[in-house]
Amino acid sequence: MKLAPLSVPYRALQKAGRLAITLVVLGSVGTGVGFGGALVVAGVAGAIALALVYEFAYYRRYEYTFTEDTFDIESGVLNRREREIPYGRVQNVDISRNVVQRLLGLSAIDIETAGGGSTEAAIRYVTADAATTIQDEIRRRKRGDDQQRRTAAEAADDTEGAAASGDSDETDNAATREFDEPDEELLFEISPSELALAGVLSFDPRVPGLLFALFTGSIPFVSPVVPEPAAVATTGLDPTLVLFVMGAVLLVGLVVLSWVVGAVSAVVNYWGFRLTRSETELRYERGLLQRYSGTIPFEKIQTVTISDNPLKRRAGYATLAVETAGYAPGQANERGSEAAVPIAGQDRIERLAEEIDGCEDGSFDRPPKRIRRRYLARYLITLAGVTGLLYAGSVVVDAAAGLPWYLPLAGIILAPIAAHYKWLHRGYRLEADHFVTRNGVWNRETKRVPYHRLQTVIDSRTLFQRRWRVATVIADTAGSLSLLGNDAAAVDIEIDDAVALRSELRDRLQASLADRRRQRAGGSAATRSAATPADDETAGDDGTTAADETTVDNETTAAADESSVANAEPAADDDHRNES
Amino acid sequence: MNALNPRIRIIWVLRSLLGALILGGAATGIAVFRSVSLSIPAGLTALFVVLGVIHAILRYRNWGYVVNDDALYLERGVLTEVRTEVPLVRIQHVDSRRSAFERLVGLASTVVYTAGSRGADVTIPGLTPDDASDLRERLKGLAIDADGEDAV
Repeated sequence: MKLAPLSVPYRALQKAGRLAITLVVLGSVGTGVGFGGALVVAGVAGAIALALVYEFAYYRRYEYTFTEDTFDIESGVLNRREREIPYGRVQNVDISRNVVQRLLGLSAIDIETAGGGSTEAAIRYVTADAATTIQDEIRRRKRGDDQQRRTAAEAADDTEGAAASGDSDETDNAATREFDEPDEELLFEISPSELALAGVLSFDPRVPGLLFALFTGSIPFVSPVVPEPAAVATTGLDPTLVLFVMGAVLLVGLVVLSWVVGAVSAVVNYWGFRLTRSETELRYERGLLQRYSGTIPFEKIQTVTISDNPLKRRAGYATLAVETAGYAPGQANERGSEAAVPIAGQDRIERLAEEIDGCEDGSFDRPPKRIRRRYLARYLITLAGVTGLLYAGSVVVDAAAGLPWYLPLAGIILAPIAAHYKWLHRGYRLEADHFVTRNGVWNRETKRVPYHRLQTVIDSRTLFQRRWRVATVIADTAGSLSLLGNDAAAVDIEIDDAVALRSELRDRLQASLADRRRQRAGGSAATRSAATPADDETAGDDGTTAADETTVDNETTAAADESSVANAEPAADDDHRNES
Repeated sequence: MNALNPRIRIIWVLRSLLGALILGGAATGIAVFRSVSLSIPAGLTALFVVLGVIHAILRYRNWGYVVNDDALYLERGVLTEVRTEVPLVRIQHVDSRRSAFERLVGLASTVVYTAGSRGADVTIPGLTPDDASDLRERLKGLAIDADGEDAV
């Protein structure tokens, strides 16, 4: 199948636009040396023409097909590439459309697998209908693929679905559209008040940093605004006071601005947020200007995180995030978890989490009480350090002489409270199917990791922790947010508990894997005997590396093909495996 | 618990020597530039060397690994002690590799990869090349036996 014909001019203009900006910049710089305006116009026109030709060739070459067990993409103008993605390995399928794309009826599709550093298949662009078809088709085929691996419990729940899928397996190519439309159950729809609240409670911490980066280059612009001490002296005011007030105003302005930016971006992002579930996957939709929709198979969910802070708790609200292994950390989109419910009533969040993952209540095992003294000491040392620095600054720099360097000492009152809450919020518990941890002084995060998702279990003790006879146990999963150090962790628990917890986690992982294996074997035997050869096929997948979940046939460089970055690594990993 | 090959200490000491020399060189440069006595950078370098040697010895003493029935277990770390359990089911692939330093003293390391995000690769240094390949083969075999589940 082909891309949308309209994608040719759209892509061309996108590319030429970038080129044109460069040219205009070059032109404006070069006018001094007689680099004429006409030349710039000619350059832009040439760029557009070139881009059109290239994009037409790209369109001609680009082809995607659904084969029996893989989704294939052939692409590339100068360097050709064929990529095959097994349906069973697909983690998420996301569609996004910005305003212009919506006007033109175009959609961008991203298909993610767990391997590699970038999106495995970024299709730019297909028509809106084709996009939905791709999403549905992958889901349908994935279901067919998963049918053989299905657990007995799920299979028993849904004998009809299994039968239907069995039929469709045999007549695989005669794709029956009726089967594509699964019953979708609405899990969550954001209400206007919740959206407003999400906006109000969003503070974008990146804004101050951004402004700082912007304005450090323009200190000369700012300094004229700062009144000269001599000029201030004539008004009879204390110059340091004026400086201090200005600083305070600036700070407040920054906070307000960050808050406004955060609020606007939250509202724009979560406009019309809907979360639905079908039998096998979650589906979300959101966005005002750029519309996102995507699917997350239940099979691929790694971690469910519920977070709140005292404000939200007071108002009875919380935030929920679902993590899969699909999104590579550090990827261009920093949206993180796609199916994050920005804010909703606590009970609603809990019900949602239960729907998604099966929830249990229970109390947390907290770190030993003595550890509060450690937290208190840590806070006090930090405060002392900051105060010391400020004091040193006020001594060394003349202009800062009058600044109240002792101000941070006010934090001493807060330190015991923070230390207490740090201890209070910390904890872990072992449920029947999940390892649950909780952390955070202000923003309290509860993470639920199913035992069968555990990757490695890490138990670490720093020098200081050893002094306090405590340890930290980290349960690593293949999630994507985790790279920021957000793994589920039981922090500062007694060393004996840590050792016990470590072996307990290992045992539970083995038990739950064995359980799933048994269920799967039982399930496929019960469903139908035809599943057996397919099982053998899946058994052939054993030892597949995460990185080579997609197969890239010809080794290429990314040079000619921007939209789908070549991933040479899978081939390399293949070599490793063959050699071992 | 298996200890590493004692020769690994040579590599670690060499590495810290290199680091100490670079730092010492920089310190000497600053000292010459500001025309301060050279005894300060010399003392610093000596201190780094001593610290490096002690660290290498302690590190060797604390390192241990063992392959259990269902997991690879490692203990290591001087200031922060880390114990890692890598379930064999989760092993994605295994490398054995030899850096220039390692070839110098006739050693190799084995690297175990998982799909996890934090402990995604676990390196066991200080193995003889034969041991490294053996370990790689063994882990691979165990991983294949243990599997039956998507590793992600």
